[in-house]
Amino acid sequence: MREPGKAASDDDRPLIERVRKGDQDALRTLYERYFDRIYNYVYARLGRAEDAEDLAIDTMTKSLTRLDLFHDQGGAFSSWVYRIAHNATIDHYRRHGKVALVSLERAPVPESADPSELAVEQLSNEDLHAAIRDLTDEQQQVLILRFFQDLTAAQAAAVMGKTVGAVQALQHRALGSLERALQGRAAN
Amino acid sequence: MTPEVERMERLAERLRTVEPFIPPPGAKIRGWNLVLAAVEQSTAARVRVHPVRRLVIGAAAAAVLLLAGAGAASADSLPDSPLYPLKGVLENARGVLAFSATDRLAYHLDLARIRLTEAETMIARHRVDLAGASLKALDDQLSSAALVVQSERHADPAAAARLQERLRQAVTTDDQQLADLQGQARTPAAASAIVEARARAADALKLTQEPSASPTASPGGRPSPSRSNGQASPTSTP
Repeated sequence: MREPGKAASDDDRPLIERVRKGDQDALRTLYERYFDRIYNYVYARLGRAEDAEDLAIDTMTKSLTRLDLFHDQGGAFSSWVYRIAHNATIDHYRRHGKVALVSLERAPVPESADPSELAVEQLSNEDLHAAIRDLTDEQQQVLILRFFQDLTAAQAAAVMGKTVGAVQALQHRALGSLERALQGRAAN
Repeated sequence: MTPEVERMERLAERLRTVEPFIPPPGAKIRGWNLVLAAVEQSTAARVRVHPVRRLVIGAAAAAVLLLAGAGAASADSLPDSPLYPLKGVLENARGVLAFSATDRLAYHLDLARIRLTEAETMIARHRVDLAGASLKALDDQLSSAALVVQSERHADPAAAARLQERLRQAVTTDDQQLADLQGQARTPAAASAIVEARARAADALKLTQEPSASPTASPGGRPSPSRSNGQASPTSTP
């Protein structure tokens, strides 16, 4: 099961101070706290275990070696780590190309498809992951942060550099796009 | 609530039940080794040096340039590489600088993880002989780590308990990775070497749980791993 809400732990601050003083145990604790989450985030974005592994390691290396760049002025360390992971994902897309970047907000839905007939409980995890990867970059990000990473709207807003209201609106549009993507897949 | 909002709620609920992707233990270990190396390198680069010393250090650096180059090349070398013995020299040098029990334990656990990664690679390359040597060396490092815990028990029981917990976590992680490796082994010899390695790792942990146990014999009567076997790994236990 998921571990809810731990991603933006206030406990990070004492650990970060200890890491800055060279404490290897604190370094290991921070690493253990974030590696799985970042791996999961990147895997959900890319869909490939090999790439997820490399990008998660790259993200953790950058986060933990450049703590001097993290200014603890109210911003959570977790937001900083997720932003590094997000940037690494975008760099990966630039280097390797992204399979689908078409917004589905206006995607044609098959005429026979009735939204109320979509049995979401019967959807496989694979279908959901694949459909999410059909969404726009921001839509993917908001769904993964909110539902796979269990971040609150405020935490997701901090990661994405948006207001809470903007994140909530984006989340609503993303769910609509996801529903259309799933209907399209079911019809095919 | 409108039908559309209800549908969105159901979809959101379904998303919350999606099981997370779990990274393989090997990935986590590889990541930790890389993070640790990068942090140590980054810390060393930030250390400020007095200008006069810079000249001395610069001259010394020039003198050891070739050795350093070879050393850097050997850092990622594997048991089937000609540079592998040099890797052991560098690892031993690092061990000399581990003064506290915490540092010594971290040192042995790091080397154990490196040996495990080497064994994994050697099995993938069908070099069962070298994989077996790496697995023995892995257990040597775990036994050495257990001895660190045991000796600390007399000096500081509370600290020893913390070290023992770290060792237990490391052995658990290593055992998971060995179990994965066992599933991938294609030859009986490789599978047998892994089974033995798992048993020896469990023995190492038992060593810390029995303060009165002799460091030269495991609780089950199985001979403890030879810590002087120089061929098993590039590193002899300091």
